Amino acid sequence: MTRHAHITIGLGLLSAALLIASTFWDAPQINNWLFRISMLIMLATSWNLMANAGLVSLGHSAFWGVGSYTAILAANALSGSVFTTVAVSLVVGAAMGALLALVTGSLKGIFFAICTLALSEGLRISALMVPEVTGGAVGLFLKQELRPSQHALYLFGALAAVASVGVAILISCSKLQFASRAMRDNEAAAQMLGIAPRRQRLIIVAISGAMASAAGAINAWYGGYLDPEVAFTLHNTILAQIAPILGGIHTLAGPVIGSVAIIALSEATRIWFGSMEGISQLTFGLVLIVCILFLPKGIEGLIRGRDGRPKPEPTPALPVSSMKEAKP
Amino acid sequence: MDFLPQLIVDALLLGGIYTLMVIGLALSFGVTRVINFAHGEGVMLGAYGAYTVFVLSGIDPLVAMPFLMVAGCLLGMGLFRISIARVLKEPHVNQILLTFGIGLVLQNAALIAWKADERSVVPPYAYSSFELGEVIVPGGRLIGFGVALTLVLILFVWLKRTEFGRATRALAEQREAAVLMGINVSQMYALAFGLSVSLGVATGVIMSFLGSISPFMGFHILVKGFAIIVLGGLGSIVGAVIGAFLLAFAETAVSYYVPNGTGWAEAVAFATLFLVLVLRPRGIIGQAVAD
Repeated sequence: MTRHAHITIGLGLLSAALLIASTFWDAPQINNWLFRISMLIMLATSWNLMANAGLVSLGHSAFWGVGSYTAILAANALSGSVFTTVAVSLVVGAAMGALLALVTGSLKGIFFAICTLALSEGLRISALMVPEVTGGAVGLFLKQELRPSQHALYLFGALAAVASVGVAILISCSKLQFASRAMRDNEAAAQMLGIAPRRQRLIIVAISGAMASAAGAINAWYGGYLDPEVAFTLHNTILAQIAPILGGIHTLAGPVIGSVAIIALSEATRIWFGSMEGISQLTFGLVLIVCILFLPKGIEGLIRGRDGRPKPEPTPALPVSSMKEAKP
Repeated sequence: MDFLPQLIVDALLLGGIYTLMVIGLALSFGVTRVINFAHGEGVMLGAYGAYTVFVLSGIDPLVAMPFLMVAGCLLGMGLFRISIARVLKEPHVNQILLTFGIGLVLQNAALIAWKADERSVVPPYAYSSFELGEVIVPGGRLIGFGVALTLVLILFVWLKRTEFGRATRALAEQREAAVLMGINVSQMYALAFGLSVSLGVATGVIMSFLGSISPFMGFHILVKGFAIIVLGGLGSIVGAVIGAFLLAFAETAVSYYVPNGTGWAEAVAFATLFLVLVLRPRGIIGQAVAD
């Protein structure tokens, strides 16, 4: 267990260092891939945080989109830097997450999922209908003179991705992790054990929202253009959930492994099938189905399983959760 | 000029089609307790089925409809047995993501097969209309409304009168008791799911001659469907009918009275959905929210 943990920590630190170092290397194609992986790591980690607490989000593009718009609008209006506008997006995303947690109260499962779906679609239409602010369907450009160098953005993206995983690790070591797990398994029991589900949930959704919003903001700086379809695209919602599922849901490494695999997969389909519309999404759908039916623990579970090591005891489990875990 | 009579006619016609659109969703959820996130794709495939038949052979969509519905039912039952049946006892996240994934595959398969262009089927009645006093009644919509209502009535009679229907209702109301009474659960689940798909297919057939169709139409239909069944009360078929007409009236009213209303009408469903979930998650006549 300890040796295994050392290897995992070592691999994690090494890949973080490599990711950051790669941004100083001048290879546009690889930089671009790694940037997209970084953004997806943030989005997937954020999704996984909510999933850990039993909240299935089908609207992560809502956070992403709001973050993107916040960043570009703030940059254009105040001539802000990447750093300050992403900070603003973090705050706005956290506020939006907190608000979502507050208004959805104790909604769980499909109700919460449908709520988030409605939120992101509603925001997309609202963005389309208020062209005075968002530019409507015409879109919104980042002022050209504000744009930083690509490499600065690569570095910023890599650092943000590492920071996001860092936040997830911190949470996994904190009381929040146990609260999340307990809420996922049985909220009533969690409440009896002295966990205040609503407060924990507010914190989790706020952190998750801030993370996804920041990813959207950084990506908006990179892209330099936004319209409602780009900002609130369902594609991001799909990516946000598929990466953790493929990598290994409810784990720390899962979203990271999944993000790398998903970007690799989408590049591979692009190379093999050219720009044929629908192929990459079709593959994502198949991955989702196959993972749910045959690979519920994702790639991470597969790696662990192959070691022939007994599965690590999943936290000093609460009685209720251990009963659930025992289910086949 | 007074819009009201026209508004009422438009909303009623729309409500009938919405009813057919969501009743399958409500039925399959009521029985299997799995929300089918691929329901909109069933509608989309129904529309493309009608389109393809019409283009290849010139057969009227309404004539092709029964055959397409049977095909949809069989496909739905097959899909249920090989995939969804395996996750019935698993956490919600798996059920949601599985049906979501199925929807994604179907949508993009359609995109590859038929390309992204918007298409439509134009039988003679599609753009006909007649005047009733001051009100203009679009013929295609009226026919669609009639067919939708007929199918919904058949479903209600089926649920009330036949052995299968009674078993379906029993499962929706009290699963454990139904099992003790010797109802074959897995068979009934597959049947309910197949039926729900075939109702979706029928909706698609009607939509194919009411406007343009595209591979992406399913998602919007799905979200509207959610708004309706959540408004009516998740799991209640009667609630779904009420919700359908309420949403139809709200949307039509917004597009008539709000400036720039046709664009905002699209957002009515999302706003409704969000408000109902937050204020009264059990909807108008739904069961209590157990997750």
